[in-house]
This record gives sequence, structure tokens and C-alpha cells, in this order.
Amino acid sequence: MNDHPDVPPPLPVQAAPSPARALRRLFLTLFLRGRTSRGLKRETAPKSIGSKLALTLVIYALVGGFMSMALINRPVFVSALYLHSMTLVFLGMFVAASAGEILFNKDEADILMHRPVTPRAMLWAKIAVLVQVSLWLAGAFNLAGLFTGALSAHPVWLFPIIHALSTACEALFCTGCIVLVYQLCLRWFGREKMEGMMTGTQIVVAVGAVLLGQLGPQLIGRHGLNFDAVSVWWINFLPPAWFACLDDAVAGTGRAGSWMMGALGLAVTGIVLWLAFGKLARDYETGLQALNEASSAPRRGGGRRRLIDKLVKLPPLSWWLRDSVSRSSFLLTAAYLSRDRDVKLRVYPGIAPMLVMPFIFLLQPQSSARAGAGAPDFMSGFGIAFSGAYLGLIPYMALILIRYSQQWQAGDLFRVAPISGPAPLCHGARRAVLLFLALPMLVIFGVIVYFVARDSAHLALFIPGIIALPIYAMIPCLGGKAVPFSLPTEESKSTTRGLSMMGVMLISCLLAFASTLSWAYGFFRWLILGETILVVGIYFALRATVAKASWPRME
Amino acid sequence: MISVCSLSKHYGAQVAVNELSFEVPAGQILGFLGPNGAGKSTTLKMLTGMLEPTGGGATIAGFDLCAQTIEVKRRVGFVPESGAVFESLTGLEYLEMVAALYNIPEAAARERIRQFIAFFDLSFQTLTDKLLGAYSKGMRRKVVITSALLHNPPVVFFDEPLDGLDANAAVGFKTLIQTLAKEGKTIVYSSHILDVVERVCDRVIIIDKGRLLVDGRPDELVAAYGSGTLEKLFTQLTGGAELQRRAEDFAKTFRP
Repeated sequence: MNDHPDVPPPLPVQAAPSPARALRRLFLTLFLRGRTSRGLKRETAPKSIGSKLALTLVIYALVGGFMSMALINRPVFVSALYLHSMTLVFLGMFVAASAGEILFNKDEADILMHRPVTPRAMLWAKIAVLVQVSLWLAGAFNLAGLFTGALSAHPVWLFPIIHALSTACEALFCTGCIVLVYQLCLRWFGREKMEGMMTGTQIVVAVGAVLLGQLGPQLIGRHGLNFDAVSVWWINFLPPAWFACLDDAVAGTGRAGSWMMGALGLAVTGIVLWLAFGKLARDYETGLQALNEASSAPRRGGGRRRLIDKLVKLPPLSWWLRDSVSRSSFLLTAAYLSRDRDVKLRVYPGIAPMLVMPFIFLLQPQSSARAGAGAPDFMSGFGIAFSGAYLGLIPYMALILIRYSQQWQAGDLFRVAPISGPAPLCHGARRAVLLFLALPMLVIFGVIVYFVARDSAHLALFIPGIIALPIYAMIPCLGGKAVPFSLPTEESKSTTRGLSMMGVMLISCLLAFASTLSWAYGFFRWLILGETILVVGIYFALRATVAKASWPRME
Repeated sequence: MISVCSLSKHYGAQVAVNELSFEVPAGQILGFLGPNGAGKSTTLKMLTGMLEPTGGGATIAGFDLCAQTIEVKRRVGFVPESGAVFESLTGLEYLEMVAALYNIPEAAARERIRQFIAFFDLSFQTLTDKLLGAYSKGMRRKVVITSALLHNPPVVFFDEPLDGLDANAAVGFKTLIQTLAKEGKTIVYSSHILDVVERVCDRVIIIDKGRLLVDGRPDELVAAYGSGTLEKLFTQLTGGAELQRRAEDFAKTFRP
């Protein structure tokens, strides 16, 4: 460069902060603050970037502490297995939900790709942040377990040390696996398919994590909480068992089998890290460039949209969507639910784990046979009624989640249009969610009950849940708040949503209980009649309230 | 300073940039023009190392674009059309982060940032306290321009830099780039505001469908084609005259 006389000399390099450190700091700040400032509900910078994380860490520590209470005086392997299983559940969900957004953000290409940093450096900085936060969360979750685990049947002071190390390994393994999945998706399927794969990956990981969380304790419980890795051979195929074996080898029985499985865990972790963070880093560079390119390939899904365009003009949809504003909102919601990466990544993985519980109920009707004669029938019926009532969570959650989009500013279009209020937009979105999300799930639940659970006798117990669906779908529309894609994504992180979801689950339980009781005592038809009258009344009252809603204030 | 040779970018069968070749010496302001979808932004993204060319290559500040991408990036400043920034950082945090990526010492970066603040008439308190998401579009654009010039690059690419700037800031900015060119910097200026290009640029390139149409001094090109203004020349070369006629016909359909 300096042999070109017309080139001004570059700035002196002395005691400059390292670019790698700057990138790590940047991605950590962005991770903790979010990428858009409106979601922070303030214009000025927060004093501490860790304030949001602190609350999460406290919650993780409390949940972990509560769970580890059950582990006092258990064998080291059982305590460690339980802790590692739950750590994997929570970390898996967290990393799967965060990795896609952190690794492949389209906006950052314009900001960073022309700077003198390599994609590998960016990948390392992002992974460092993911690993750092994973370690914090894993540490908080296992904090109490370090001590309760030490109070095992044969207390060993080494447990806290080895468990801290094995938890760190597990956090690395979990992060590495998810990053590896994204890299492989990119390598094998290319950028176009990867967007869909990212949604699929998140759903699989989230559902898997919840399933493991639900079934893991049951499986452990079946073996009397006093088994070891040798007596239940198949448990050695589960990754948490590898790390539990490490604990058992150092601070427990010290058997050769535990040492071998512990070594296997370390070796697999090493291989995963080498593949994800080293070997496939070049694919990441390609992926970043691909995200930056305007794709010339014809957009897939256009045929589906044309089909929907035709269907909305035909009965019965044309009757249901008479109003042109509702119809537009319906089509917009349908398009985003099938096309937009950001919306898909939020909606489907957000809903999928919620649906695991009814599946577990449906697939284990005979699990309560031990409860005595008559109980199987009641419990099987309750499972079906609960699944039906729980369906309400789909439109409820989906309508809350589709309010958020990275293109939220485009929602100003609705305010500019001559529409008196947000009600018709909410109704369009509500109907799209009912048709494209709730209805298919209803069919899937029905098929499971009919063919898998082999219980057609209780199929009618779905009806109370189906009747209540319109109410669940109307609640998020109150106050005109279900205008699709009109809020920035950062506002989607809300703690009150968890509470309202608990409320919906409670109501679902009550409805399922009432349905099952009425079925058992022969007044099910009266329940249906009463519920229908009640739902119609509430529905029209809510609808009237939504119709009066005015545009929420712009901040 | 910039030497582009048969630069091409293909997306499958579609050709975005087709064997583009040109040279820009130090101290020149090149107007890089073309209608929407002509391949301007793709070319700029390739020249800044953001996209890998499908064919051809370029040398920037003496470094090969494909083989020495990082060295090229060290010597290039880029103001992208999107004006994207990390909205949840304050202006100062953002600029300090950019400075660190170029290995600029903290004290030198602060000093340079202060100079830009003074030039753009920004308040230091705004820069330290307010998140970029709360900035007006013009203020955000000023931060993006600052971030492109912070490391004193010999080559600067501007893609619609005036978007969002008020009239006074725009005048100041035009003077700034003319002075920077006099100081020896090479500037590539892409814009749809043709009268500004005509006044500011020493030379103009017009591309369409990824191909180079004309290359020359604005006054010479206007004289050679007898079009009167650069805008008329542009419409003449890129089918704008036909669009003008269609616009008149279309406007007539709005008659009550």
C-alpha cells in the first residue's frame, strides 16, 4: 500500500482496543439490549447492560434451587443426571431461540461486512457471547445443585467442583450442537432452505427440550430414584448421562463404566466444538454473504398465496371475510405466517412447546390405570377434554406473537388508511390464525385420539374446547391490540405474557374438568348448551368492545 | 486508485453486473448512476468486499479485492443506502465500536469523533446518552457518514448519502466531499439526485442492466449527446423518455 504515493497513510496503530474484543462487546450489548431501541421503551442508554440478564439469572437460580431440593440424599449419578437433564432443557430452549437471530442477522451486513473484520472473527465473537450467556444461565440453574448434590447418599466434597466443570462442558456441548445444526443446514440445504430450516430446528429443539423436561423426571422416577448408569443401559445414550457419569466417576461410585461414559462426553463435546467453531466456519462466511445478496431465485410459495387469493373469493371464506380490510389483514397474516423468517421464527417455536403437554396427556391414557377402576376412563376423557380446551392457547399465543415484526414501521400504513379503528385488522388476523393454525392442530389432535390413543368414544370431549376457541382468539384483540406486524420485535419480550398464559392454562384445566365430570355423570349435552349460550354472549360483548377500540397511542 | 476489470455478478441465470470495467484515479469524484435494478448497489457491495464477484476483479488502493479483501476494507469507507445502524447503541458507543474495528486508538477516535460532531453540529450529550433508534433520520445519516470516514480512508463509496440530510447539512456535506477529493481521496458517489451529481462529480458513469452505458465528464457527455442536462441524458439513455410519456398518459386516468 505504501508503495503507492497517492495513498494517504493509515492512522497510527497504538494501544488500540482489539477488534475481536470490540465485536464481543458489541454482540453482548446487542444481545442484552436487543437490536432495536424502541423495544427498550426508552430513548436513553441503560446504565447497565446486564440489568435484564440479572433477573433471568435469579429466576434460573430459584427454579434450579427448587428442583434440586428433591435431590438431597440421592446417589451422585441420579442427582447429576437430573440436574444435567434440566440444564439441557433450559439451555437448549434458550440457545435455540437466540442462535438464529444472533448468527444470521440480515441488517448487520450493511453495518459490518465492509469493515476489516473476517466472518470467522464475527462468528467467534457471536459464539463467545452465546457461550458466555449459556455458562451464566447454566451456573445459575445449578448453583443450589452444587450443594444439594454434595449432600448425596455418600457425600463427597469433590462434587461441586466436578459438577461445575461438567456443567460448563454441557453448556459448550449444547451451544456447539445448535450452532453445528445451523451450519450444517446452511451447508447442505443452502440459504433459501435454511430460513425454513431455522424455524424447523428451533421447533424440534424446543419440543425436544420440553419433552425431555416432561418425560425425563418420569423416566428417572420409574427407576425408584436410586438406579445407576449400569443398571439402566439405554440411559447412556442420552447426552446428560455422559456428563452425569463424569460427576459419578469423580465424586460418586468411580466405576470404570462412568469413567468411559464421562470420557465419551468430553470427546463428543470436543468434536462438536471443532466442527461448529472451526471446520465449518467457512460455511458461515458463505451464509453471511448469501444473506446479504438479493436473491434472484423465484420466490417459492407464490402458488400457495395465489390459491389463498382465490379461496377468499369463494364461499365459505368470502362470507367470513366480507369486509375488505379484514380480508387484507387475513391475507397479510397468512403470507407472513408462511413466508417471513422473523415471524416464523417467533410464532412456531413459541407455540410448539405449548402443545407438548396435551400430546403427553393423549399418548398416555393408560398411565393412570393404577389409580383404580373407572379412573382410566376418567383420565383418558380428561386428557382429550384438556387437549381440546388447551387448543385455545394457539390463537391466543399466535395473535400476541404476530403483532411483532422487524418491519413494524410498515404498520403505519394502517393508520394512514381511512379505517376508523384497528378492529377489522384484528379480526382478519384472528381469522387467519384460527384457520391456518388452530384448525390444523385440531385435526392433528383428533387423529391422535382416534388412531394413536385408540379412543373414539371420548372424541366428543373436544367440543367444549372448540366452542371456547372464539373467546380465546378474541381476548388478544381487546383494545385493538392484535393489529398484525405493527410492533417492534423487542417489545415481544414480556413477563406479563407468562402470567396470562398461566391464566389460559388454568381456565383450560377447569373447562376440561367440568367437561369430563359432566361426561361421567351424563349431563354433557347440558354443559355444551350452557357453554354455547355463555360463549355467544361473551363473544358478542367482546366483539362490541373491540369494535369501539381506537388506535393505540404512537410512542 | 480504483481499477475495475470485467467485474461480474450472476445470480443463477440472472446477470446483475456484466463485465464492468473502469478506473478512478486519486482525487476524483466519480458519479455512479443507473436506474433502479441497474446493478449499482451490487457493484458497490462488491467493491467494498461485502459480496464476492462471480467474475473479474478489482484493485483498490493497490490491493486486490479478492485476494486481499481485508486490506481493501481497511482502506475503504462506505455509506450504504440503507443507513443501517445498531439502534440499541448510543451514537458514541456505535462510533467507538467502529473505531475499534479499524484499530484506531481510543484517544484518536474520540478526537476524530469530536471533529465530526463539530462539523455536523451534533450535541455530544445526544451522542453519549441517546440510543441511535431515537435519532432522527438525518442525525442517523450523519453518524453513518462519520463512521465511514472515521478511519480516514483513501477511498470512499457513498450510496445516496444525502438521504435524510437537511438542506444545510447537504450543502456542508457536498463541500466536504469536494474538499476531500482535493486532498487526494477517491470518491464514488451513487445517487438518483442528478443535479447534485452534475454539480459535484468530476466524472460520471451510467450503467443499466449491469452494463456500462457511458463514461465521461458530465459537461462533455451532455454536449456529446446534445441533451442539455445530465437528467435528460440519463432519461435518454435508460428509457426514461418512454416512462415520461407513460406517466402523462397514466395521469390522465385520474381525471374526475
